[in-house]
This record gives sequence, C-alpha cells and structure tokens, in this order.
Amino acid sequence: MIENLFLAIFFTPFLWILLLAFIFFSRIKLNELILSEAVKYLSLLMTIFTAFLLGITFFHSPAFLLLDYPDWIQVGTYQFKFRFIVDLLGATYAFLASALIGLIFRFSRNYLHREEGYFRFIFLLSIMLFGLMIISFARSLDILFAGWELVGTTSILLISYFYNKPQPVYHATKAVISYRLCDMGILAAAAWAHLYLHSHDFTVISRLLDHAHGGPGVVVIGLFIIWASLAKAGQLPMTSWLPTAMEGPTPSSAIFYGALSVHLGPFLLLRFSEYFSHFPLLLLIVGAIGFCTAIYASLVGRTRSDAKTMLAYSTISQVGIIYIEIALGFTNFALFHIVTHASLRTYQFLRSSSLIQDFVENPAVEFNSSIKRSSFFENYFSIELKKKLYIHALHGFHLDFYTYKILNMLFWPFKAYIQLEEKWMESDTKLLKMLLRKFR
Amino acid sequence: MRFTSLFLELTPLVSTFFPAILSLFYDFGRKWQNFIISILAILTLFFASIFFTENFSSSFDVHHFFDIRFNKISIFIGLLYCGSLFVGLFPLRHSQTITPTFLFYVANGLGIILANNLTTFFIFFLLQRVIPLKGFFREEVGGTYFFQHVLTGLCFLALMFLAYQQGLLITPMSEMPSTFFSWPVLLLSFVIVYEAHGIFPFHSWVHDVVGKLPWYEFSAIFLCRAGILIFAQLLLPSLKYDPDIFKLTLLGLSIFSSIYWSMRGIVEFNLSKKTTYFYIAQASLLLTGMQADLTALKGSYLHMLVISISGTSLFSILSFVQQSFSFKRRSQYYGLAIYYPKLATLFCLFGFCMIGVSLGPSFVVEDLVITGLLEYHQYLGLGHVLATCLNGVLFFLLFTKVFLGPSPYKDQPLNMDMSLFEMFPYLLSLIILFCIGIMPSLFLERITW
Repeated sequence: MIENLFLAIFFTPFLWILLLAFIFFSRIKLNELILSEAVKYLSLLMTIFTAFLLGITFFHSPAFLLLDYPDWIQVGTYQFKFRFIVDLLGATYAFLASALIGLIFRFSRNYLHREEGYFRFIFLLSIMLFGLMIISFARSLDILFAGWELVGTTSILLISYFYNKPQPVYHATKAVISYRLCDMGILAAAAWAHLYLHSHDFTVISRLLDHAHGGPGVVVIGLFIIWASLAKAGQLPMTSWLPTAMEGPTPSSAIFYGALSVHLGPFLLLRFSEYFSHFPLLLLIVGAIGFCTAIYASLVGRTRSDAKTMLAYSTISQVGIIYIEIALGFTNFALFHIVTHASLRTYQFLRSSSLIQDFVENPAVEFNSSIKRSSFFENYFSIELKKKLYIHALHGFHLDFYTYKILNMLFWPFKAYIQLEEKWMESDTKLLKMLLRKFR
Repeated sequence: MRFTSLFLELTPLVSTFFPAILSLFYDFGRKWQNFIISILAILTLFFASIFFTENFSSSFDVHHFFDIRFNKISIFIGLLYCGSLFVGLFPLRHSQTITPTFLFYVANGLGIILANNLTTFFIFFLLQRVIPLKGFFREEVGGTYFFQHVLTGLCFLALMFLAYQQGLLITPMSEMPSTFFSWPVLLLSFVIVYEAHGIFPFHSWVHDVVGKLPWYEFSAIFLCRAGILIFAQLLLPSLKYDPDIFKLTLLGLSIFSSIYWSMRGIVEFNLSKKTTYFYIAQASLLLTGMQADLTALKGSYLHMLVISISGTSLFSILSFVQQSFSFKRRSQYYGLAIYYPKLATLFCLFGFCMIGVSLGPSFVVEDLVITGLLEYHQYLGLGHVLATCLNGVLFFLLFTKVFLGPSPYKDQPLNMDMSLFEMFPYLLSLIILFCIGIMPSLFLERITW
C-alpha cells in the first residue's frame, strides 16, 4: 500500500506537467479559473497523499521503507537503479512541500489574477513540486541531483518571471552562476562516493565508511556535499544572490527563498547526517559556516530598508542557525526548525506585499513609532564602531566586490590568451593576403 | 534483410553529388531549397530504415582506393547528419536562401561518414574543407582556417605515407593491425582528430568560420564528425595498447577544450559566436567519453545524438528569429520572448536537453560519462564536471541575451511565433529526446557496435 501511495505521489505531478506541456504547445486556451481550480485539487490530493505517508512513517519511525525499481540504465557492469527511501525526513519535507505549494497555488489565484504569465507560473511551480518529491525520497546522490536540478532551473526561471525588465534577468543570471558552481559539488560528491565507497546510496554510505580505508578521498565527499548545500541555502560565500532573487512574483519568492528551496541545503546535510557524524572536522566546518552566515546576514539585514530584502537576510540568518544545529548533532530539532521556519517565512513573505496597507488600514496591526530597536550588545559598542559596522554592513561587507575580483583574477590568463590568439590570427590573415597577392 | 544492391549502396552519395554537380550548370532558383530539404528527409528515412535493421553491415569497394561501407556507427552518424539538418532546415524552407553549394557540403559530409579507408576519407575531407576557401580567398580572410587545414592535409598525407609503407593504404580503418600504431602515427592521428573536431590547441580555425559561413554550412562541416570517426575507427581499437601519457593528454585536452570554449562563449558579445562556442564546447566533450571506458563510450554516442539534434535546432531557431530581428544592433538583451513565446520555450528546452537538466537525455550522458571517466582518472572526471557547469552558465547567458530582458525593438507586432506545422520537426525531436531522457535503455540497447 505504501508503495502505491508513493507511486501516486510521484506520478501525479509528473502527469500534470505533461498535460500542461501539451496544452502549451497545442492551441487549447485554458481558462484561468479552470486552471486555478485544477491546481487546487491537485495540491489538495498531493497534501492528502503526503500527509498519509508522513503519518505512516511517523508511527513507524525510526524504521524506513526502501523501494527498489528495475535498472533505469545498465551499461556493462554499471547500473543505475531507481532507489527511494520513505523515512521521516523525506516524508516531512514532502508534506511540507505539498502543503505550502498548495497554499501558494491558492494565494496566487488572487495575487496573479489576469496576469499574463499565470500559466507559466503554475507550470514552473508544478515542476518544482515534482523536483521536490524526487529530492525528498531520493536514496542516492544521482537521483537527488535530478530533483535538485529541476528545483534550481524553475527557481531561475521564476526569478526572471518579469522577463522584459533588465533587473530580474540580471539577478537570475547571478543565481544561475551560484547554482551551477555549487551543483558541481553534488556531481563531484556522487563521483567521489562511487570511487571510494563504490556506492552513493545514503543508507549504506555510513556502513561502508567502517570498511573504507579512510584517507582524504572519503573526507572530500563531505566537503563537496557542504559546498553543494551552500548556494541553495544562501550561506557564505554564496549569500549575495539570494536577497537579489526577490525580483520574481511574491508567491514564488515565498516558496523558494522563504520556505522550500532555501531549506534544501540543510536537508542535504541532514540526509548525510550519519556520514557527517564520522567526521567531526566536517561538522565544525558546517557550524562555522552557519555561525558566520548568521552574524553576517543579521548585520546586513538590519541595514536594508525594504521588507522582502530584510526577510531574505533574516531567512539566511535562520538557515545559518539550522546549520549550527546540524553541526551540534541536533538533527531532529533541525528538522523541526526547518518546518516551523518555512511555515513562518511563507506567511511573512506573503504578507510583505500588503505591509503598508496593513499599517494604514488594518486595526489589528499597531504601529508604534516610539519602539527603539536596540540589543544588549549594542550598548557596549562605541558610536564609531557602530558607524563603521553600519557602513560595511550597508555594502554587504563588500562580498560582491571581492567575489568579482577573484573571478576576474581567474579569468585574467584566459583573457590574455584570447588577445594572443587574436594577434596570431591577424598575422595568419596578413600572410594569406600576401600569398594571394603574390599568386594573382 | 541485406541491402546489397549497387543502387542502395550508393544512394546517399549519388543523391547528393549528382544534383550538386548539376547545380553548377543550371540555376533552379528557390526550387533548390525544397529539393535539398526533400533529399535530406529521404536520406533520413533511408538511414533510419537501415539503422533499425538488426546486425546490418556491408562494404562496397568501387575501386581499391575508393571504399565505402555501411556499419552501425556510420549508419548512426549518417542518420544524425541528415536528420539534424532536416530538423534545422525544414522550418526555414520558405525564407532561408540555401545555396546549391550546401549540397556539396552534404555530399562530402556523407562521403566522410561512409568512407572505409584512409584514402577515401582524405578525399572527402579535403573536398569539404576546400569549399569555403573560395569565398575566403575572394574576401581575403580566413588565414588561420587555411593554414590549419594545410597542416592537417600534410599530416594526413604523412599518415597515408606511413600506411603505404606497411601496405595498409587501402586497408579498412578499423582493421589496422596494432603494429601500425607507432608514436608518429599516434601523433599524426592526434593532430587530425583534434583539428577536425576543433579541439584546443588546434581550434583557432573555428573562429575564422563563425560568422563567415551560414549556420547550416558550418553544421554540415561539424555534424559529419570527421574527428570522431577517425578516432572511433582508427584509434579506438588500439587505445588499450596506447601509452597512458598519450591517453591522458587526449582526455585532458578534450576537457580543457570544453572549458575553453565555454569561457570564450561567456566573455563573447556576438550572438552567433556565442551560440557556436556553446555548441563546440558540448561537442568537445564527445571525445572525453570515447576515451574513457565502455560506460562512457555509450554515453558519448547518446551525447552525439543530443547535441546533433539540439545544436542544429538552436541554430535554426536563432536563424528564424534573425529574419525579423537583426542581432547586429548591439544590445545587452534582445528580449524576443515577447514576440516568440513558443520558440523561446523550445530554445530553452533544447538547451536544457544539452546541459544535463534532469528528464533530458544529457542527464543520462553526464551520469555515464562522469562515472566512466572517474573509473579511469578521478581528477579528469572533476574537470568534466567543471566543463558541464560552465556549459550550463553559458547556455543561460545565451538564452537570457536572446529572449529575456527589455526588447530594443519597440515597433514590431506581437506574437510572431511559428505555426504548429512549422514547429512539428522541433516538437518531434523534443519528444524523442525527452523519451530517451526518461527511458534511456531503449536507446542504449541499440548501441551495440
């Protein structure tokens, strides 16, 4: 029964995507109301399915169900099997994803009413839902990567939702560079795990570690995993793209950068928590990254004046704290933190667009101008120090500047080579001209 | 079922060479366009019908020096060659001015694909590479193209001389004895393969071709995969006996080449150059899989299918768009998605098929090639991962530049998309590509050569 339920969770969004793709390329004009009603029932169905699965795994926890399907690819001795795991972590994330995406579908019915790109928005969010289901239940890195890429791609396309404006496109480019750089980490980790442990199955990696000969190769897998988690979670040094990714419509910002996509980094670390428990040094690195990011994001966030950017920085800061929790070994607490934080941020992001109206018209919201923001530590800082800190935080501690400087340095030999090649090609053309004139 | 009649053996060459020669004497105007596309469609069906015939193999020896053969790999590349060009050219049949010269490219390309020995291969290779020189000489450009091909020609002649010394000049390439593969032979083959495939450090001729030849002529040169064919038939059988340093150099340069083309594309502003560099960056990775092991080799053949169809479609879509919008007008973004929402989606999907997004066939390719490469050399596998990552960035930059952002063309009517009929070859190719991405075994089982 669980297997059938699992298959239903997988195939419902997949078939829905195929149907939407068919509608797009055919000449069928789909009414907005029909579309919004359809996605409402789809998300409701998905939420019921995943809730049921979560219930089952919760009462059977810590046991889990392993699902193996026939070979997807078989070349020589190499086999790629569809392997899935239904456990508390995966089922919780799948339920969270279905419930929140359902909420976003409902919210966007009014928010994006008569919007030109409403169909595109629904289509991309459906792909994201499918990608998240893959990630939630993936049992090996290569399957997880399949979902990871789908979520990344939809995220980028939604940042550039208002594609006829330059800023969203520019910020989508920034996001794609960060994503691709970190996605390398998953591919490399999968490859390294295959090489050193002969498997990238999460359930056996920690067992295989006992038999592995150790050495740097096994530790490098963890480093790649940490690196892979940074972009999606917006942790240092991959922080600067996330606050600028708020160019998309508010519902997509809420679901990606407040709730689901941003927590995929911690989710990946939680999937590898057993592996990390063998390497305290790696946990220290995870903790250090989380700590630095939490401080950085809370300082920079305080200097921002618009609600969505402030929320973005506070999300990054909270995810930093989740990193610290994972580093300290509080994995269940980290999962609880992910669920509560994602739910709260979704609410805050969705309310952010009506914040001004709330202050003006909503009697339930009290605006007290006499509230003075200060903290215990601020009293011990001198004004000079506070000024300096403020100015640096305002510039995001020049993170972008140094990133571009490093990238420029990496490109320098390449640019020098291009110049050399162009000169060489010019001299070739001159020689050819000379030869042609001589023979004519 | 065996196709042994003379007619069938020579169909691809006769059906292209004869009209090509005829075109030198008679001007049929725009009728050529439909005629060329029809020939491509017929040849696609011809190759497809043979490809799906089990265990088909034949060889046709016209003369000792002129030997063509049909085996699985040549039929596969022939099918991709004609099929991709058809997919690319069909939507443009009313608007594109395809010159009769293009038939010479196609005919020689098919000659390269079907050549069985070094002599036949050399003749067709030389003929195909000589065609653009007429235009280059007239405009006094293309110096690097000329000199690099002179170098390749000399290398080819030297290789043939070495084969002649051992009495192997007319021996089929795949049947060369292992004693033939001395260091000079390996080095000469290396230069030929890398130059023909546009791989660093013999890549500079590509810069000369981009923008000077129409995209379909450039595709006709690249799609016949001369470098791959020489590698697969001449070098691959001997690869396991070759010194490690040779293999490592070959692999390292292929990966570096892909990184080079991607970075070159990232810093490039010209759109046709950017697209070509993206295409070549992907094509450079073909050789890496071939050199690693069986797993990666199968991945490479699948990769060849993906980049042939998707690459030509990308060029074709850009070419269609350029009929109404000039990219000579310098702009950070062209924002054409407003005018072509469906073509923008197709462009995006074809690109995703190439860069390894899941559900697309390249995801399978990446998995197979990286796994195979790592079995051979772990750091080269990592290099491949970097190359893939940069390719993805380059594609997104290309897509955003053409289709996203504010459009500088304000006075154009909205929605100028193709009709469903015109898009049909693209849609059919996409369905095939995604079916392969979802059920790769269906395709991989057929690669048994």
